[in-house]
This record gives sequence, structure tokens and C-alpha cells, in this order.
Amino acid sequence: MTGRPYAVPVPKGYRIGPWEVREPVASGAFATVYEGVRAASAGAGRTSDAGGLPRRTALKFLPTGTRTPRQLHHLRDLAEREVQLLRRLRSPRLVRMYDTLTVDDPDHPELDGATVLVLERAEGSLDAVLARTPRPEAGPALLAQICEGLHQLHHAGWVHGDLKPANVLLMADGSARLADFNMAAELEGTHAYSPAFSTPDYTPPELLWPEVDERGTRIRPSADVWAFGVLAHLVLTGAFPLPGGTSEARCDAATRYARGREELRLSPGLSEAWQDVLRDCLAPTHAERPTDTAALLRRVEGAAGTSRSARLPRLRPRRWRRPARAAVVAAAVVGVTSLAYTSPWEPDPTTTAPPTCERPVVYEDADGRGYMAGHSGTWDFTVQRGDGGSQVRELQCLLRHLHGIEEVGEVDGDFGPLTQGAVVVFQKRAGLDADGVVGPATWRALREPASG
Amino acid sequence: MYSVIVVPPSCGNVSEQLRISAGERIEFGRACPGDPYARGSGSGDSRSGRLHSGGSRSGASLSGSGGLAIAHAGVPRVAGEITAHRTFWLLSNLSEDQTYVVENPEGAGEHIKVAPGRVDAPVPFEMSRVTLPAAGDLLSFDVWAPRHAFRSVERQGLEGAGTVPAFALDRTKRYFAVLAALCERRLRGEPRAPLPAVEEIVERLRPSWPKVSRSAVYWNIDYLAVKLRLRPGPDTAEPGRRTHGKKESLASLALRFDLVREDDLVVLAPAPSGTER
Repeated sequence: MTGRPYAVPVPKGYRIGPWEVREPVASGAFATVYEGVRAASAGAGRTSDAGGLPRRTALKFLPTGTRTPRQLHHLRDLAEREVQLLRRLRSPRLVRMYDTLTVDDPDHPELDGATVLVLERAEGSLDAVLARTPRPEAGPALLAQICEGLHQLHHAGWVHGDLKPANVLLMADGSARLADFNMAAELEGTHAYSPAFSTPDYTPPELLWPEVDERGTRIRPSADVWAFGVLAHLVLTGAFPLPGGTSEARCDAATRYARGREELRLSPGLSEAWQDVLRDCLAPTHAERPTDTAALLRRVEGAAGTSRSARLPRLRPRRWRRPARAAVVAAAVVGVTSLAYTSPWEPDPTTTAPPTCERPVVYEDADGRGYMAGHSGTWDFTVQRGDGGSQVRELQCLLRHLHGIEEVGEVDGDFGPLTQGAVVVFQKRAGLDADGVVGPATWRALREPASG
Repeated sequence: MYSVIVVPPSCGNVSEQLRISAGERIEFGRACPGDPYARGSGSGDSRSGRLHSGGSRSGASLSGSGGLAIAHAGVPRVAGEITAHRTFWLLSNLSEDQTYVVENPEGAGEHIKVAPGRVDAPVPFEMSRVTLPAAGDLLSFDVWAPRHAFRSVERQGLEGAGTVPAFALDRTKRYFAVLAALCERRLRGEPRAPLPAVEEIVERLRPSWPKVSRSAVYWNIDYLAVKLRLRPGPDTAEPGRRTHGKKESLASLALRFDLVREDDLVVLAPAPSGTER
């Protein structure tokens, strides 16, 4: 991670409110996200809840200070958009914000005044998954969750404006959440005003060179639907729907497609159901794209359900509640001189320690009761040699730390020969077909207490 | 969605500009197919031949029958072709023996030559003047490629698809200096300062751009409005308020989205003493 430029460099160990800054997690064009750990001296206890805050969070630093090197005042607008959205919306498929803080530190002029969002800590982004495993097996199920997030967002009257794999976060249980709402805008009638920024590969053709006025670019919810179509094609096939080796070439192809000079050639490997969904999402004009995201979600779930991997079961039951429209949060983020510390959320009802790889814990969900190692709550997601991802990690944790099969090697999320060997050992021990393929029967056995 | 604009000379009206999008082409010559204006008359205009735009107008499809007619006896019937490609354009010289010159008007003589018969020569300039020699006269017309893209060097090394501004300005171009002069007072800490009049902008730019004129400033303001795809405000319908409304919208857009920042004021000559800061 060294040598990479960070939008906001924050020294390791820096204290902000109760949080201590650890390693950088991700950096984008405007902000840098660091891991935050609740400092030992903060709060009453280490394991009990201090206002319902978890021990590990993600701290997103936006350089909104007046003395940041470049006085980018649109950053305040971008920060404000994200804060507004996350304060007002809480949905299972949107990343959760616990708190917002403002850095008050005249000794660090480059940090002073920065806005810090305290967010749910994710395991990684979909972008990182795709970089390692193009066409992940969990893809269809993830797409259904992403579409669900989009539906929740649109239903609440917001447009994301920058949907792409890097802005989809994957949680420890393998579920997906939408994040990065800096471009998000609240609908005013049929339009919303988005700051004139976009990611070209996910931008619908009508917004590639958009008209603009002082309020920004007018975008419609259909822009997110197009972006979802591009993202879905990428997740399912490993390639962008429009041809071209560079983003500029693909934008050019999108323009020609929208002008009716080129046809959309979806990957032939897609199922008919997915082809239908993607063709509609990637319709050349905004008016042709489906904007009823509830109906779209049903179609996406249908298309995902027909493929081999069914939906990802949730590790824990949903426990999202609408927040009280708390006046506590009204304190302005930007311009507050002292530390603005607001913690409006209800306490986290989970009292038991969450499962970890080393210490799997018994959980009950809709599909059954068994040991979970914190990476995936699946009961039936088939994985075999060559696969990777959270399900494989879950498998490796259970083999090694629940069933004591050391031969599995390091827990690295890659289903290689060592993992296969360990699976065969386990299957023999459990009296299953020793074929090295982890299907529903093997998962059920894996989640049972270790014999002896 | 167009990416290239062909501007006939002495074109006072936006509706006479020809707009083509990626993959589309425009023919130019004495007689364009289907062009009713094509008549081989003499050249009365000293700057250039008389040109008319034919075919459909203002951004509509021009493929097939559309084209730019150059009414000069010395111009071949079909003299050449302009093809929009991605964010730039290609020039085909279809004449028998004339070399065409494409000049960058802001490039201090920077130009490319396109030999007779050369097909699809790429033109790298954002603003170009195409000059055709014709029986002793030099005829010219302009071509703009306002969608030239720039990528931030600051993103180097970051992974993933970057979120980028929808607009990219070339900081070396004169339009950028005009924009900087327009926003200077507000950038120097007076957010409510009135915008400078065009005369004041001319004076401000003269040290670094000796040949600047009122019309050059107006031209650059109009070009910026095209390049940034400024949506006309409601008050622009009144003729008197047009330029003022455009200046006002440009300045607020540029400041709101940091298209021009305080550091960018270096493109202007140092502020003369006595200027309010």
C-alpha cells in the first residue's frame, strides 16, 4: 500500500474522537478510508457497547477543511451529500453510518476541518473481488442484493449517481451494501442534481457529455439503472457490455449505440433471463429503461435464482430499524469548530461476540442452526477447486479451527490443492462422498460440532 | 452526443454549425450531394469563399446527403471529408493535387499538412482552422472538438475506475485564461464581487495576450458555453442580457465545481498593483 497517493494522508495512530486510525483501507478521488479501532481508553468497556458502536469501523476522511492544500470547496458539497443521505436513510443494503466527526486540530492544518464519517467496516469492495476472481460464483446473488440496495435508495427518493464495483462493499457475512454517496442526489420531481462528476464506464450515454448549469448535472434514476446493467454484465461475464480496450473507446461505443449506429451485443454466455434484464437496463435512452426498481428487483432475483448459486443466506436476522428523526444529528458537520460527536443510533442488540475464523460460533438463521466462522452464512453454496472468495474462506476456517484439519493450510480464500485435500479428509471422516466438492451435504456436516 | 462541430466562416448563428457525433462524416466541396446552395460562383469574400451549410442542422444526423458546400470555382466538387472519431476527428483530402493545412489557431503556427489523397488523417487540435488553397485564394473554415478529454495525473496509482469530472478544461488554452479573468475577483476572496465587464477582461488579459480583442473574449465565452454544455438560463431569451447571463452562469459553474481555482490564476499576468485582492 505504500507509495500510493492518498487523497487524505492520516498518520497511523491518529486519534479522532474515540477512534484510533489504523491502516488505510481504500482511497478514491476525494476521500481516503482508514480502519478505525476504538481506543482502549475510550468508553466504559472493551467488549460491551459504547453507544452501540462496534470496535472496528471504517473512518472515511474527506478533506473539507479550510486550510487543506487545495481549497476544494466542492468537497464540502460532496461530503454534505453523503452525510445527508446516510443520516436520513438506513436500509439493510446501504452502508451504515454510526457517526460524523470533524477534525479539530490546528497542529495538522492539512487535516484540520476534515469531515470524518464513521462507517460500518466492510471486508472489501466488489472491485477487489472482481480483480481477483472475475465472474465470482456469488455474482448473481450479489447482484440481487445490489439491486435491492438500488431499490431502497430510489424508493426513498435518492439517486446514487456513481454506482460501480468499487462502491459496492462486501460485509463479513458475504452480503453486499451500497456505499460512497458523494454523488448522490435527492430527486426533485423526475430529476436530481448531481455534481458534475461521473465514472465514464458506468455513465449512461446521455450523461457522457451532459448539459450543466450552476446546480450541476441533471440526472434521473435511470442513470443508476444503466450503471447497474454495466455492473451486472461485468460481474456475470467478466467483461464490459460495450466493446473497447479503454474506457474512452467504450464510451465512444456507448455513444454510437445510443445513436443507433451500433447494436448491443451481450455476452452469449448469459442466460435468457439475464439477457432480458440487461437489455432493458442498458436501453439506449433513459425513457426505455425500467425505473420501477421493485419490479426490476423481482426480475433480477428471478434471474439469479435460476442459476446455480441461490441467494446468500444472511448470517444474522435483519435488525434494521428506522431511526428516530433525531434532532441530535442536526449539528452542522462543516464549520463546527470543536469535535462534533453525535451518536444517535440505537444500541446494537447483538450482545454475544461475533464469530471469528479462529472461534466459530453457533448461530441460527432461517436455514438452520450451526457454526459460523464470520465469512459466509451459506448452507448450500457449492465451491470446489479453483474457486475463491468468502465462501472458501468460511470453509477453510471451519476445516481448520472447528474440525482441526491442519492440512488445509493458511486461510487465504483460495480453493487450491491443500484445501481440496482437507475437504477430502473431512468428507471421508464424515462418511460423505469424498469428491472434494463442497455442496449442501458437506456444508451441513461442516457446520456441525466437531466429532470427538 | 455530438463530438465535433464544423463552423462555416462568418457563421453568426449557432444553427448554421454542423454537429456530428462519433462515426458520422461530413463531406465538403463545391457541390455537396443534395445541397441546394451549391453554385459555382466567384469569391467575393476576401477572408474565404462563401460557405453554406447544407443538409439537416443543429446536431441532427448528417450522414449521407448532408455536407458543407464551398461555393468557389477553384474547389473540387468533392474536396474532402470530415469524420468524427471518439473525441477527435479525421480529415480525408479527396482533391487531386492540393495539400490542405490544418492549423491550431492558438498554437503559434502549429499545423499539420494533409497531402492529396490522404484518407482519415487524425487531427489532434481542440480548435482547428482548415485551409484549402483554391485558384489563388485561401479558403478556410473551423472545426472544434470540444470533448477532448484530460485525465488527472493525481489518480495515477489508484486502482479501480476513477470518478472524474464530467468536464475537462485545457489549462493552456485561451478560453481558460478568459475563464480565470472572469472569476479572478471571486477567487481572490470576494465571493460576491461583480463580474468584470468584457472591456476589463480584455485589459486584464492584454499583458499575456497582446492581440486580445473584445470579439476574441466574446468568442471564448461562447466557446466555453458550448464546451461546458451550459444550459441556457431563463433570462438569456432577452437579447441584451445574453452575454451577461452567460458570463454569470459560467462563473458560478466554474466556481461551484472548481473548474478554475486560485492556483490557476497564474495563467494571468501578475495582478497590477492597486488591483483589489
